[in-house]
Amino acid sequence: MKKNLLLGAALLMMTTGAFAKEINVKVSGMVCSMCAQGIEKKFKTDPSVKSVDVNLDNKLVKISTHEGKDVEDTLIKKYITEAGYNVAEITRQ
Amino acid sequence: MKTLITLLSLIITTSTFAHPVIYKGGWAVSSANMADYSNNYVMYSLSHRFAIGADHWRFSDRTGNDNEMGLAKFNYLLWRANGENSQANIYLHGGVGVEDQNIEKKQTRGTFMGGAEIDWETRTLFTALKHYQFQNLSVSQARVGFSPKETPFDELQTWFMVQAMTINNLNDQVMITPMLRFFYHNVLWEMGSSTKGDWMLNLMVHY
Repeated sequence: MKKNLLLGAALLMMTTGAFAKEINVKVSGMVCSMCAQGIEKKFKTDPSVKSVDVNLDNKLVKISTHEGKDVEDTLIKKYITEAGYNVAEITRQ
Repeated sequence: MKTLITLLSLIITTSTFAHPVIYKGGWAVSSANMADYSNNYVMYSLSHRFAIGADHWRFSDRTGNDNEMGLAKFNYLLWRANGENSQANIYLHGGVGVEDQNIEKKQTRGTFMGGAEIDWETRTLFTALKHYQFQNLSVSQARVGFSPKETPFDELQTWFMVQAMTINNLNDQVMITPMLRFFYHNVLWEMGSSTKGDWMLNLMVHY
């Protein structure tokens, strides 16, 4: 019984996001690397964010979070908008 | 009054140059310099649409007489189109301040300016048009440029550009200036020489 409870708790932790997350954000208008510095700067101020990788080739911002942390879609859209861009798509791994 | 303008210009000219409005909370510092003029400003972006700051202009008649202006300024992003592989912008500019005139007649007076600019860019093409209207003169500028390759985010970017510029009521000539533009992370610098041999040096920093 105790074993099953522990297993259940572990599964629950996995499904509720106890692990680090990889978030891919497709951004429109991201053509200038100097201008896109704002995107990197915005996400780096978020304590949940471990690293940010901006890729101009595929217009993708890859965000890695700290373990057990997440960045909500609304917050992602806020950061991108404040940097002057539009979010085209958000996908999570 | 002249002391105020000089003080303002000293504060600003120790800094550099940047885009009209950047990300919320970002500082843009700029210095653009040619024989006939220099422009230095520091702007703070309250949002990605609106920035405020201090702006200094110097216009020279090349005989040792300068007109100088110190302005409290705003820049406003009126319109932006974020395409999949391009971005287009329209900005408006406005400012009020003090002008110290030494060309034609000597006087110090209150002044104002307004302006607009439009640009369109991809990762390898750049075009821009600007017009600034001051009380006694105006500045019109057009630029086209290209980058030989799509450079990754963290690498040094190199652009080849040509600028056409005229300062109405000062030189009334179209100055054509081929230039090189480089940027790396948050620093941009441009170097050029006009077809008449006048140098140009611009520096821009975002932080």
